[in-house]
Amino acid sequence: MENNSIQNILESLNYFTPELALMLTFFVLLLVDLFFRKSKYLLPAISLVGFIVSGYLLVYTPDVKGFLFSTGMTNIGLYVIDPFSFFFKILILLAMIYTILFSLSSKEINEAGGNRGEYYVLLSSFALGMFLLTSTIDLLLMYLSFELVSLSSYILAGFTRNVKRSAEASLKYIIFGAVASGAMLYGISILYGLTGTTNLYLINFYLSNQNIESLPLVIAGLLIIGGIGFKISMAPFHFWTPDVYEGAPITITAVLSVASKAAGFALLIRSLKIMFIDYTATNLQSSAWAILSQFKWNELIAGLAVLTMTLGNLAALWQSNLKRMLAYSSIAHAGYMLTGFVILDNQGIMAILIYFFIYLFMNLGAFFVVMLIADKLGSEEMEDYTGLGYKAPFLGVSLTIFLISLTGIPPTAGFVAKLYLFGALIKAKWIWLAVIGVLNSVISLYYYLKVVKNMFLRESEIEYSHNLGHGNLLITLSLLIPTLLFGIYFKPIIEFAEQSVRIFGF
Amino acid sequence: MITNYFYIAVILPFIGFLFNGLLGSRIKNEKIIGWIGSGVVGIAFLIAVFSFIEVISLPVGERKIIIPLFKWIAVERLDISFSYLIDPLSLVMALVVTGVGFLIHIYSIGYMHGDKGFWRFFAYLNLFIFMMMNLILADNFVLMFLGWEGVGLCSYLLIGFWYDRKFDKSTTADAAKKAFIVNRVGDFGFLLGMFLIYKTFESLNFEEVFVLATKIPLNEVTITLITLFLFIGATGKSAQIPLYVWLPDAMAGPTPVSALIHAATMVTAGVYMVSRCSVLFVQSEVTMMIVAVVGAFTAIFAASMGLVQNDIKKILAYSTISQLGYMFLASGVGAFSAAIFHLTTHAFFKALLFLGAGSVIHAMHEEQNIKNMGGLKTYLPTTYKTFLVASLAIAGIPPLSGFFSKDEILWETYASGYYVLYLIGLITALMTAFYVFRLFNLTFEGKPRFPSHIHPHESPKVMTVPLIILAILSAIGGFIGIPEVFSGEKGNLFKNWLHPIYEPAETYLFHVNLHSHATEILLMIISVLAGVAGILMARHFYLKSIKPIDWAISKFKKLYNVLFNKYYVDEIYDLLIVTPIVKVSEKFLWKINDTLLIDGFINGTAEIINDLAKVIRKVQTGIVQFYALIMIFGITLIIFLLLI
Repeated sequence: MENNSIQNILESLNYFTPELALMLTFFVLLLVDLFFRKSKYLLPAISLVGFIVSGYLLVYTPDVKGFLFSTGMTNIGLYVIDPFSFFFKILILLAMIYTILFSLSSKEINEAGGNRGEYYVLLSSFALGMFLLTSTIDLLLMYLSFELVSLSSYILAGFTRNVKRSAEASLKYIIFGAVASGAMLYGISILYGLTGTTNLYLINFYLSNQNIESLPLVIAGLLIIGGIGFKISMAPFHFWTPDVYEGAPITITAVLSVASKAAGFALLIRSLKIMFIDYTATNLQSSAWAILSQFKWNELIAGLAVLTMTLGNLAALWQSNLKRMLAYSSIAHAGYMLTGFVILDNQGIMAILIYFFIYLFMNLGAFFVVMLIADKLGSEEMEDYTGLGYKAPFLGVSLTIFLISLTGIPPTAGFVAKLYLFGALIKAKWIWLAVIGVLNSVISLYYYLKVVKNMFLRESEIEYSHNLGHGNLLITLSLLIPTLLFGIYFKPIIEFAEQSVRIFGF
Repeated sequence: MITNYFYIAVILPFIGFLFNGLLGSRIKNEKIIGWIGSGVVGIAFLIAVFSFIEVISLPVGERKIIIPLFKWIAVERLDISFSYLIDPLSLVMALVVTGVGFLIHIYSIGYMHGDKGFWRFFAYLNLFIFMMMNLILADNFVLMFLGWEGVGLCSYLLIGFWYDRKFDKSTTADAAKKAFIVNRVGDFGFLLGMFLIYKTFESLNFEEVFVLATKIPLNEVTITLITLFLFIGATGKSAQIPLYVWLPDAMAGPTPVSALIHAATMVTAGVYMVSRCSVLFVQSEVTMMIVAVVGAFTAIFAASMGLVQNDIKKILAYSTISQLGYMFLASGVGAFSAAIFHLTTHAFFKALLFLGAGSVIHAMHEEQNIKNMGGLKTYLPTTYKTFLVASLAIAGIPPLSGFFSKDEILWETYASGYYVLYLIGLITALMTAFYVFRLFNLTFEGKPRFPSHIHPHESPKVMTVPLIILAILSAIGGFIGIPEVFSGEKGNLFKNWLHPIYEPAETYLFHVNLHSHATEILLMIISVLAGVAGILMARHFYLKSIKPIDWAISKFKKLYNVLFNKYYVDEIYDLLIVTPIVKVSEKFLWKINDTLLIDGFINGTAEIINDLAKVIRKVQTGIVQFYALIMIFGITLIIFLLLI
């Protein structure tokens, strides 16, 4: 028995190489930072190499045939590797690589002084935490990796700690995060008390075979959803988002809005789907939410989705700070994506995956352009963007395209994302939800286009000339081209998403 | 096989467009811009030629190659891909578009020399070729429609190319708008047709629709509606009654544009579309009848207007409308291959006529009124000779290309029993010969009537060489479709080549060929006589003595005025359609519907949302304890809601 579990762990390590690569990156960065403080490019270069190696290992990891890290009879494992996690890991890696690239030209980061090492070290632990989140099937590992992600991001948000708003953001994030994580831990402990196990599959087994009182189960489920909702800034757990997004360095805001949200969604989908599904039912549509069928879970999620997107959009209307506006807009996008979760069949999940993939490019693109302009202009206020479209035409046009894509207007990729999402909703007869989603998109058009209006339709006398380096030009293009290309030629994303809806055990 | 890489011939012009469009303004070197713009089309032409050679060597049954590029839109049953269909019909079109297109590109290097928008011109022209290739190579209606709209856009951009110039009584921008708006009417028809096709066949793929159309029993009303809607689209793009009014105004664009888009390629898209959908059209007798009648009437109607115009390009514009009418006449009587044959020869000689006209305009310093020309043959010898070839070709003088194609149309019309339409076609042939040689004589023959300070000079080689090549094509191009009566055993090569395309359609046509070869030859002689008569009349009136024509004009002043003012169709359209629409738009749609109702509703909603947003924003206090409180409160509330 003892031998068996050790052997299993050793075998599992073969499949764990991408994560190991990230760990190694973490340690190497830590050591290098001790000895080579002066070098500007060394740390980002190591991080990039680490992420790319991890990506390489990820692509070449064979499809696993069982649970990883199982330690005997009572525990059927902690970790799975499936196409679903693969998708999110790719997404996370892409976001991380872009973040490193952004950081290279970010004024905030480069002027932060001697502790730049921490920044890259924490980014790699952040990535590791998110990797674990996408693959875990055990509540304990889930909580631990959740904390790893949170702790890394708390510090990263306050990285430019001599900037007042950054420090404030970090502190708020910690306090709010602590509440959320406490709630989640409470939910986990209730669930453990009810079922006696922390493995998601086993929980499902107990839930579907034993009569369990429903009130504690509802509370437990809700608390866990709340904890994850904090990560994906779902209302009413979203309050930290605008303050933190505005206060944090813009590179961190960008990565929080994409990668950490992606990890949160992966976790949400996986855990709820595994725990609360009825395996005996043949029809997936009806089997979803089968356990606890007396509660209308999907209506709850639908309500929260509507709340999230509406709050996000309405609050964004009045923002004059571009970063803050994008923060609210990212809340709204989380709301749109949640609607896909309401259906919880493969169509809905596929729509979420497609949305995420496209969202990665357009949202990162918007943040990057805002960062470039802010570094030059020293301001993120919309007022200061007047006439910018003529003084920096490339950036102006790029930002316009990113914003139009975020609204969801063809021929940009954002349209395709919304098309599949709302299409899935309509097919599953959630028409009212789709209507609200579309109405919300209309509202969002207003604040996105306000930026465009300021840039192109108003004159200003401010002197501004932007000499974009080749590197920044390439980065912008590498985000811009997919945003446009996927608006017309979107078959590959659809196929990628189609292959990736497979969750282990289904 | 090169054919499998045909998509390169589509992408290349697009690359040319990107190159010239993005970098053109910085390069500033006309040579680079012009030769890259032309080169991409030239390579596309070579690819088309090699593919043609490959396809022609295949057995007849295998001459259909589909090149799938990628799935484009796939939702539920709707499945639309970006894939190209290479078959005899699309190959003919591709050869014409890239071949004639290439020559016109080269010509433009000389014609547009020194224009401040030189790079813009080539960018648009390349984009046009790209869109046109999509139109003709598409293997489904949606992709075809993409190209259809794309060429419309390019046409708009190029008509208004000299947006700061005056044209007629208004501006080139107005002419461009007119073309665009009139085309929208046709496009709407096309769209309705597509919707109906999808509703009926549940597919928009050519192959699937056309096979289904022969297999399932079709409701007569449905198929008539489908084809009529499609035909409305064709009348818009191909300038037929009642939507032809935009084409004369389209002459506001630079002359190479008129040659490429408004004579040789884009305006023939409607003919191509009808031809492509032949199996649908033949299933509705009503539509076929309408197509034939509209074609014949457009032919004679436009030709009659061309008789009295004085603007060199306007005459050619009416001539184009008239010749397109011939093509629809042919389609309407079921002679689809004759239509495509005429399309091909027309592309040669009409492009040549336009380019020749451009050369004249160039030499005369932008003068376009033929009354102020005359005697140019000594100044512009090459233009003169090539123009003569084109004029003879369009007049239908054997053995030039126009003779074979026009005669085939007339013969097929006669043979299918439409004697009245045949007569109309014959009279049109007479008129055609007359107006072309009126134009020719007033321009090149006689004494100079232009002020002495103008010294016309022949255009540079880069312009005359394309003229010469087109002249050769206009002269010998007809030999690819020598009628059976002459070629005997081999039959009509062109017809045989296109035969696989029209095979399914032909089963619906009941042609009992009662007429003998003797009749065919007799009719041929009659139509040649008509052409010769037209030429002689023009020679007599405009060269020998100008008096009879002056007498005729004063005698038939009213008729002359009606013709000169183009039957007042523009004015009638203004009165009946444009003005009411403008009035209703202004008085009701704008002032009441838009300002009062829609704006009121929208602004009202926006204000409510704004106010709501103001309140919601306040929730974000910045105090973190408050946030946590709301979160816990939220959870409690949800539990409460779930439990009740």
